Amino acid sequence: MMKDVLIRLRREQGAARPPHAYFGALGGGALFILSLVFIVGGYELGPGTLRRLGTGAFPMITGVILAVLSLAVMAADLRDTSDAERPDWISFAAIGGALAVFALTVGRIGLVPGVFLTTITASLPDPSLPFVGKLALGALVGLGCWGLFIGLIGLPFAAFGGL
Amino acid sequence: MEILSGFGNGLLVAIEPVNLLYCFVGVFLGTFIGVLPGIGSMAAISMLLPLTFYLEPTSALVMIAGVYYGAEYGGSIASILMNIPGTPSSSITCIDGYPMAREGRAGTALFASAVASFGGGIVGMIVMAVLAPGLAQLALNFGPTEYFAVILLGLVAASAVSNGSPVKGITMVVAGLMLGTVGVDITTGAERFTMGIPEMRDGVHLVIVAMGLFGVGELIVSIRANATGAHQNEIDYAQFYPTRAEWKAMFAPTVRGASIGSFFGALPGTGQTVASAVAYAVEKKVSPAKARFGKGAIEGVAVPEAANNSATQTAFIPTLTLGVPGSASMALVIGALMMYGIVPGPRLLVDHSDLFWGLVASFLIGNLLLLVLNIPLIGLWVRLLKIPYRYMYPTIIVLICVGVYSINNNVFDIWLTLAFGWAGYLMRLFRFEPAPFLIGFVLGPMMEEQLRRAMLLSRGDATVFVTRPISGTLIAITCLILIYAISSTLKARRARQKAQVAGE
Repeated sequence: MMKDVLIRLRREQGAARPPHAYFGALGGGALFILSLVFIVGGYELGPGTLRRLGTGAFPMITGVILAVLSLAVMAADLRDTSDAERPDWISFAAIGGALAVFALTVGRIGLVPGVFLTTITASLPDPSLPFVGKLALGALVGLGCWGLFIGLIGLPFAAFGGL
Repeated sequence: MEILSGFGNGLLVAIEPVNLLYCFVGVFLGTFIGVLPGIGSMAAISMLLPLTFYLEPTSALVMIAGVYYGAEYGGSIASILMNIPGTPSSSITCIDGYPMAREGRAGTALFASAVASFGGGIVGMIVMAVLAPGLAQLALNFGPTEYFAVILLGLVAASAVSNGSPVKGITMVVAGLMLGTVGVDITTGAERFTMGIPEMRDGVHLVIVAMGLFGVGELIVSIRANATGAHQNEIDYAQFYPTRAEWKAMFAPTVRGASIGSFFGALPGTGQTVASAVAYAVEKKVSPAKARFGKGAIEGVAVPEAANNSATQTAFIPTLTLGVPGSASMALVIGALMMYGIVPGPRLLVDHSDLFWGLVASFLIGNLLLLVLNIPLIGLWVRLLKIPYRYMYPTIIVLICVGVYSINNNVFDIWLTLAFGWAGYLMRLFRFEPAPFLIGFVLGPMMEEQLRRAMLLSRGDATVFVTRPISGTLIAITCLILIYAISSTLKARRARQKAQVAGE
C-alpha cells in the first residue's frame, strides 16, 4: 500500500516539469530578508564608532553587503530562463523526518529504539526496500550502534529508556 | 638543514604507535566514505570530526589529514569503476579511467591511480616542508591590517574561483560571515542573534554546520542519484599491474601533474578540482599520446590523480602558516585546531613545531598506507560499491545523528543539523555553493577581530588597509581576482548567448 503510494509520488515528481532557473530567485529573496534581520539587529546592538567598532558593527556591515549581493542574485536569476534542477521533496522530507525522529526519541526511549525508528524513517523514500526489509535494517543498525557507540567507544548514552 | 631536522623530529612523532594507528584509521575510513558516490571529502571529514574530539591534537590532525586524502583517493575509485566521481576533483579521472574500466583494464587504472596519487602526495609533502617555514617567517611580521587583508583575499579567492556564479559564491561567503557573529561577542560579552536560546550563546558548532550542509545536504541529493542502479559494471581484474611501457608512459605525466597540483593547491581558492583540470589540459597539449586522451589513456588517469593528491597536501600551507583555508575542508581543519586552543598561523611553527612537522611526516606515512592498503583492498572497495544504496544511506544518516548528538548530548544540536541540512539541499537547488558559506563561517570571527584591532590601532582611519604596503598589495590582488572572476563569467555568458543564437 505504502509502496504503491511512494511509487506514484515518485512518478508524479519525475513527470512534473522541472522548475525554471528563476526558482533560484527565491534563495536570493530569503537571503535578502536575512540581511535585513542582521542590519536591524546590528543597529540595535550598537555599531560604535570608526575607532571602536561596536558589537553590532560587523553584523551591520555584512548585512548591508549581503543585501546588495542578494538583490544582484535575484536580478540574475530572474533573467535566467533555463531549467533548474528538479527537486526531490520526498527524500527532503524523509531525511528531515529521520533527524526529527532521532531528536524526539533518543533522550526519551534510548539509543537503540531511537536508531531503529530513525533508520526506518530514513529508508521510507525508497520503494525498492520492502517494509520487512526496513524493519530488519532498522534492527541491525540499532544493534550495531549499541555495540559500536556504547559497547566499544563507551559514549554515555542509554541504550534503552531515558537518559 | 633546519627542514631536515624538523622533518626528522616529525617522523618520530608520526611513527608513534598511537599516531600511526589514527593515520591508518583516517586513511581507511576516508577511503571508505570517499568511495561512496556523491559523498566527498568534506562530508567525510564532517562525519568523522566528532571522533577526533577525544584525541590529542597531533593525533586528531593526523587522522583528519588521513581522512582528507583517503576520501580524495576513494573518490577516484568510484570515478574509474562507475563513471560517478566520489569527489568533484576526481571528475577529471572519469575521462580516461572509465573507458579503461570498460576495456577490462579497471585493475590497471586503479593501480595507476594509486601509484600516481602516491607520487603526487610525496611531491606535495616536499613542497610543503620547503615552503611553509619561509612563508610563516614572512607572516610573523603581519599585524591586524595584514591579517584582515589576507583573510579577505582568501575569502574572495575561495568564493570567486569556486564552481558556479562568483556573485553567488561571494554571497555565500558573506552569509557565512554573518552566521559567525551568532553567540556571545568575545570583546563586549553581549549576546548576538541568539533569540534567547541558551544553547546558542556559544554560537553554532562547526560540526553542526558542516554535517548539515555537507552530510545531510549531500545525502538528500544522492538518494535519487543512486536510485538508478546504473553502476553495476562487470569488470575484469585479470590485468592489474601496468606493463613496462605503461609505467614509462605515466612517469613524466605524474611528475608534471604533481608539480602543477602543488602550485594550485597552495593558492587559496583553487584547490584540487582546478589543479587536476589544469594538469589534464596541460598534459593533453604536451603529451605525444594526445590522440588517446579521453579513450582510456593511462596518462589521463595518472595526471589528474597526481595533481589532485599533491594539491591536497599543499593546501595545508596557507591553512597552517597563515590561518587562511583555501577550501571548505581546510576550514574544518582550522576549526578542529581551534577547538584544541591552537590558533593556526605563523606562530604554529614556533609554538607547536612537533604538531606541524608530525603532520608533514604523517603525509609520507599516510601516502604509503594509502598505497599499501589500497592495492590489496581494491576488491573490498568494489564489493562495497555493490551494496545497494538503499542500505547505505539510512545507516549514514544514523551515523550523522549519533555524531552530532555525541558533541553535547543535546537534542537541540540535532534540530540545528536538520535546519542546516535542509538549507544545504535548498542551496544546491538554488545553485548556491555551500563550501564558501562554511569558509566564511570559520573565518568570520577572526576577520571581525582583526578588523576591530586594525581600526583601533589606526585610530579609525580605514585607509590603513590600502596605505600599508603588504595589505595594500593583498587588497590589489583581491580586486584583480574579483575583476577576473566577473569578466570570465560575463565572457562565458556571452559565449552561451552566441551559441544559443547560432543554434536557433
